[in-house]
Amino acid sequence: MIFSSVFFIFVFLPVTLLIYFVAPKPGKNVVLLISSLIFYAWGEPVYIILMMFSIIYNYISGIEIDYHRRQKNRRRMRFVFWLTVGVDLGILMFFKYYGFLMENINHILPFDIPYRELALPVGISFYTFQTLSYIIDVYKDNVRVQKNLISFGTYITMFPQLIAGPIVRYADIETQLDKRRITLTGFGNGIAWFLRGLGKKVLLANNIGMAYDSIAALPQEEMSVLSAWVGCAAYAFQIYFDFSGYSDMAIGLGKMFGFEFMKNFDYPYISKSITEFWRRWHISLGTWFREYVYIPLGGNRGGTAKAVRNIFIVWLLTGFWHGAAWNFIFWGLYYGALLLLEKYVLKSLLEKLPKLVKHIYTMFFVLIGWVLFFSSGMGEALSYIGTMFGIGANGLADSAGIYYLYNYAVLFILSAICSVPLTYRKFTKFVFSGSRGRTALAMGAYLAIFVLSVAYLVNATYNPFLYFRF
Amino acid sequence: MQSRFYRRMVRVFGVLLVIMVLANLIKRDQEFSDEENRMLTQKPVLTWESLTSGDYMTDFESYVSDQFFARNQWITVKLYEDILLGKKESNGVYLGKDGYLIEKPDEPDWESVSNNMAAVSALAERHPDISTYMCMVPNSFYILEDKLPAQAPVRDQERDLQKIRELAGGSVHDINVTDVLKEHADEDIYYKTDHHWTSLGAYYAFAAAAEAMRLENVETEYDIHTVASDFQGTLASKSGYHGSEDIIQVYEAANIEPDYIVNYVESNEKSTSIYNSSCLEEKDKYTVFFGGNHARIDISTTQPERKNLLLFKDSYANCFVQFLLPYYQSIIMIDARYYYENVDSLIQNYGITDILFLYNVNTFVTDNSLADVLNPVQPDEAGSPGEASE
Repeated sequence: MIFSSVFFIFVFLPVTLLIYFVAPKPGKNVVLLISSLIFYAWGEPVYIILMMFSIIYNYISGIEIDYHRRQKNRRRMRFVFWLTVGVDLGILMFFKYYGFLMENINHILPFDIPYRELALPVGISFYTFQTLSYIIDVYKDNVRVQKNLISFGTYITMFPQLIAGPIVRYADIETQLDKRRITLTGFGNGIAWFLRGLGKKVLLANNIGMAYDSIAALPQEEMSVLSAWVGCAAYAFQIYFDFSGYSDMAIGLGKMFGFEFMKNFDYPYISKSITEFWRRWHISLGTWFREYVYIPLGGNRGGTAKAVRNIFIVWLLTGFWHGAAWNFIFWGLYYGALLLLEKYVLKSLLEKLPKLVKHIYTMFFVLIGWVLFFSSGMGEALSYIGTMFGIGANGLADSAGIYYLYNYAVLFILSAICSVPLTYRKFTKFVFSGSRGRTALAMGAYLAIFVLSVAYLVNATYNPFLYFRF
Repeated sequence: MQSRFYRRMVRVFGVLLVIMVLANLIKRDQEFSDEENRMLTQKPVLTWESLTSGDYMTDFESYVSDQFFARNQWITVKLYEDILLGKKESNGVYLGKDGYLIEKPDEPDWESVSNNMAAVSALAERHPDISTYMCMVPNSFYILEDKLPAQAPVRDQERDLQKIRELAGGSVHDINVTDVLKEHADEDIYYKTDHHWTSLGAYYAFAAAAEAMRLENVETEYDIHTVASDFQGTLASKSGYHGSEDIIQVYEAANIEPDYIVNYVESNEKSTSIYNSSCLEEKDKYTVFFGGNHARIDISTTQPERKNLLLFKDSYANCFVQFLLPYYQSIIMIDARYYYENVDSLIQNYGITDILFLYNVNTFVTDNSLADVLNPVQPDEAGSPGEASE
């Protein structure tokens, strides 16, 4: 089930909200847990067993780690911790990377080992990272152990962030699990977040995604330089509004149930360096890797050589987390290399450059990065990048390129407007610092987003979600 | 001020959501959508299998959106949004100028085309005494170039046609209708809402064909009857755009219309008209010609001269046959997509004198059924291996 569907908005959500608010306070987590399990089982009726195993196993491990700590048995504690991390990662590896591993082993071996590729359980990359954040923080004594299975289960399964994040760290939400205040204002704020996310996803991402799909379907030798850039730009907008829209909907739903999740996107396309871009893009994933990989490895303490090593490890894992394919690994390493370059070589140079140049520099490398990301393999990626620079391209501009640029001009302009913080800032300033009539206008705007989005959803012929692959 | 706004938001959207959910609960389920010309999803049945496979959930989701209240109005809103966003295509259909919907061409399957053309020329060579003609009708995206959205990237269909002609070889006579259709591109030679050509388009093509096939005493006057004026064809359904309506006309030779009997071989039904007026009550009114596509249709006429035509065709031919009636004693129409009998014996048994392949290019370059029908039955494949004669 995805948020941007008629079924979710008009059946699942109203029923869940109704029961949730009717239920007495101690029962609210139970309602949330059960509805989240139904939400997950709706799309993955078989893999729900896997997720329930994960919850119960990590719940028990947490208690065990805590017990051994109190018994001052550090060896037992360390053993349970590493075993749990191993099992969690093992499950993720098995379902996500088994096919990729076997494929590459078969490449090397002179004979083929037969294997069956497994269907990826939806959201496994996200909820595995959440259970790990809990286990690591319990081990490091950063959080108190959760003794209530319902509360723990609610943390892992909570349907707003279950499938595509944000990756909520247990430490951030620990107190909210048992004590949270739901106010009418908070709920309304949640609705506003949800609607903005819905609009981003349905009106912008889905529509501009069609430009990318049409261009990607062109045979490579018929693609001009212009088409290649237009296609890449369309993808950049699609993935941003798709993913950030989904995150906004998740944050909004969280608010409706009284939770505060961290912001996952902060206008990444206004960045003036790659370093800044990654502070603004998929913030919860970056935070996770920094907290649980980079810093435990020693971070930037211990000399330049070690810091370089650590950055490469983090970015190799970041790339691999996005998908079991070589192009994702290269995509990760590409960013690792760029970040190191900025940190040790370009830093002083970049500071001297005018803003516009810095911005162009950043977007240039981000767009090249997206080619690595959306291509189905390294060969395709390199030939697409080649086309962008005229190698093997069908001329500088052809009618197809002009056609797509011209026909999606409105969407490109709208997308660009919605990619900068100024737009929303101006909107809030306009609405809340003037006459009362202006709030009515704002309400009209939100109603329009709702009606216009629902019209697309009722017609839903095209409503993919890019981050479901991860 | 902010918190008052968000509090009001809860009330506004709370009421709105309740109203919409109630509207969905009250609304009766519909089986068929005339607007979209398709069956709507019905409430799925819950079984253990459908639950564990996830089919139940998928079906339930499409059930909810298919049976959404005021569905047609929502669709209209969506179309206005598309226009506002400047979209020029929808679901593989270009939203052209002057209300024209124009289908995007498919990528040709050249392997099948080569097979088909090899089979066509082999057939022609097996029957050197019979004249074999090929008439490939270009599609609207190529002929009506001016009606396409500006700069729309489309194939050069003349190049595809050239390739097909080269594959045909010398034994097949080519009937070129591209030029005459281009000449009349500003007339209604294609439907605005359907992927077929109109009877007028077929009429112009027939003039070119009559010359190439050396027909004698060609009729020059026709009585034209308009049989429908509110036709919305397959492209309207496919794209979801219902802004235009088409008229359907039939052409009747004024002076030399012979009597004839149409025999729908598969169902063994006979008729005295090639038109099926009951189809005008249905959504796809183009089926007024022969009631749609059939594996084989035999037409016997009172034309005295012994000329028998074997016509291999797709649906473009359905409105073309009305022009052929006066010139043949019998016309046998074969739709290779549904036909499995031996062609060579058919040619012998019916004393065929002419063979015509009439297809629109887009169908022809994606067809993979023609070669199978045309190729002679191999002796060792004639009987199943078990009962091979000693």
